[in-house]
This record gives sequence, structure tokens and C-alpha cells, in this order.
Amino acid sequence: MTQTPETPHDDDLLAAEMVLGLSSDDDMIAARHRIATERDFADRVVFWQERLTAMTDRIDPVSPPARVKKKLMAQVFPKQRVSILQRLWLWQGMAMASLLFAGYLGVQLLEINTRPGDQPTVLAAQLVSDTSPLQVLAVVEPIKHEIALRRVSGSANEGRVLELWAILPDQAPVSLGVLPDSETTRILVPAELRSQAAQITLAISDEPVGGSPTGAPTGDVLAAGAMSEL
Amino acid sequence: MDRQEIENLIARVALKDRAAFDQLYDRVSAKLFGVCLRVLNKRAAAEDAMQDSFVKIWNNADKYNANGLSPMTWLITIARNTSIDRLRARKKGHQDVNTPGFELVSPGPTPEQYAVASSEASRLSGCLDTLEEDRGKAIRGAYLDGETYSDLAERFGVPLNTMRTWLRRGLIALRECMSQ
Repeated sequence: MTQTPETPHDDDLLAAEMVLGLSSDDDMIAARHRIATERDFADRVVFWQERLTAMTDRIDPVSPPARVKKKLMAQVFPKQRVSILQRLWLWQGMAMASLLFAGYLGVQLLEINTRPGDQPTVLAAQLVSDTSPLQVLAVVEPIKHEIALRRVSGSANEGRVLELWAILPDQAPVSLGVLPDSETTRILVPAELRSQAAQITLAISDEPVGGSPTGAPTGDVLAAGAMSEL
Repeated sequence: MDRQEIENLIARVALKDRAAFDQLYDRVSAKLFGVCLRVLNKRAAAEDAMQDSFVKIWNNADKYNANGLSPMTWLITIARNTSIDRLRARKKGHQDVNTPGFELVSPGPTPEQYAVASSEASRLSGCLDTLEEDRGKAIRGAYLDGETYSDLAERFGVPLNTMRTWLRRGLIALRECMSQ
């Protein structure tokens, strides 16, 4: 080819070189400044950007693995790390009862949260009704699969007991047992219910001493509440 | 790709709409991943570059409206520049390309201008093919492989100044071909 002594050089080529990533450091800095201040130059850059990007037209799309999206979303939207104690505190605005409750749940539940990485899902329910003073807080302890219960107000009727039931959508209530007189207690979640714990509604019924004789609630439902994520 | 749809999604992402970001990812990630993979040639590196690109998209979507680029050009430019920055970071004399799209401030073309521009853009490949073979290869090498003038001079075995002259002549020919 014939060698021409002078190198063609104009603004349009500076813009194209910038888009290609061929500018020297000094030229790049100057070009950035000109983009911000000179309309014509910025237009030249847009001109080349639009046209040179057409080189990617022939590049076939490739589906990225699902984990990339997961990592990206975790990076862009970091899960707020709020301690379980704080979550209990905020939950239903039941600060005092919740705080006592956290004390009852003990260190172990709070410790789960001190580990970096996965934040456990903590399920909780507030069992209440319009017709009875009975009010019970329930928190599912995620590692031991225990439901920790604290009776905040109300109690069993004279000569009767309180029985706890787990109800899954469209299914018959499953008895979780008669509650003791104490304010707090722990009840193991039956293995067959664990995977669906988030769908459980807890209910407490009024039953004769010894619990329901039929395997289904026989007395009034004194309090009930659905599980929600803390 | 539907320009209006992508533009709407970017506008919503600019307002920090998480659902829109999710949809935008589903809509364009395969194309951007293809671009990252083409530049970096390694899956792990391409995955990282694409993730970085989307973080930049999330953080800079509010600057899109003013930059005058079509939405796919803007998105692809971010993915391409992020990939090339990573490619060059391994080499000596590293220099950021750093997504020029972010800095553009000129008002965008009108829809008519845009239609003309996009039909011209699609002519690029044909025009690249009409260039002298080495010039076309050099321009592709710079854009798709992040090659610098010194990389190109070495590859073609010519002095740096000659390389620069070749490439600029190639760009002039390309411009003439595209505006015919």
C-alpha cells in the first residue's frame, strides 16, 4: 500500500477512537471533557457508538446460569440484617411482651442470627380473638422445630383446658397438645408439618380436662392466628 | 428487541423499581452475556463482567435518558466496556474504556433521526467487509477484543504510526460507506 506522510486526524476520528477504546490517556481525558461541553463532539461520539455497536449484532445471546442473577440480586438488594430481637420488637408493636418472649426463647434463637450469611426465616403468630381475652404469641424456632409460646393475657376457663391446633389450608386441624398452665411452653412441630410451617394457622380451643376426646376441636376457639414471617 | 419496552424498563429502573430491574435482566441478560463471553472468552470472567454491568446499569439508569443512545446500544456498550476493562486489567499499561455512554449529554436523536441511524448502523457489517481486509480486522479487533494500537501494530507487524494511519483510513472509509 502507498504510505501517506500525514495521518488523517479530525474530531470525527477522535470520537471513533474513543468509542473503540484506542485513545491515549491524554486524548481520553480531553475527549471526556469535550463530550460534556461540546454538543457537536458528543453527537460524533453517539454516531460512532450506535454504528460500531452493530458489530455485536452477530453475537448470539447466551443464557447465563441462574446463579448469576441470584448473586446480582443479592449484591444490588442486600438483605437488611435485623436481629431477631429487633424483629420481635417491631412485630405487631408488642414490644414489652415480645421482649419478655425473646428472653424466654433464649440465647440460642438469638445466636442463630449472629452467624453471617443466611438469615433464617423466623415464623411467628399472634393468637387472638374478638370474643376472648386470651392472647398468645407463638414463634417457630427454626433449628429445633419447636414452637415457643407465651400467654400474654387470658387463661383457661375454670375446670377446662386450652388445646393447641395446627391448621393447614383445606385440612382438618391437627392437635399439638394441651397447653400447660405456665405462661410459656415449647411444643415440637410434628415432622409432617415442618415443610409447610409457613402456611399453618394456629388455634386454641376450649376443651374438657385431658383434651378433646374426638381428635377434633369440640369447644369454642378462644384465639387463632396465621403464621407470618418476622 | 422492542426499543420502547426496553426504554420504559430503564426509566423504571432509574426510579429504583426492583421489579423492572428483574424484568430488564430477564429481557437482555442473554444478549449481554453473549457480548461478555465474546470479549472475555471465559465463562467465569464473563459471568463476573455481566454481573458488574448490571450493577452499573442499576446505579446509572438515571443517566440513560440524557445520553442520546438507543437503549440496546447503551446496555451493550456497558457490557462491552466492562468486559474490555477486565481484559485489559490483566495487561500492562491498563487503561479504562469506562463506558463513555455514561458521560454523554447531548440530547437524543429524534425518532426519525434514530430510524435513519439504526438502518445505517445495520449497514456496518457490510461496510466493514468492503474495507481492506486488515483494516476491517483491526477495527473489529479494537472493538471486540479490546486491542490497543500497540497490540494491533504487533499483530500486523507494522510500526505503531503506520497502524494508526491504517486504522484511521479504515474509519474514514467506513464512514463514507455507511453514509452512502
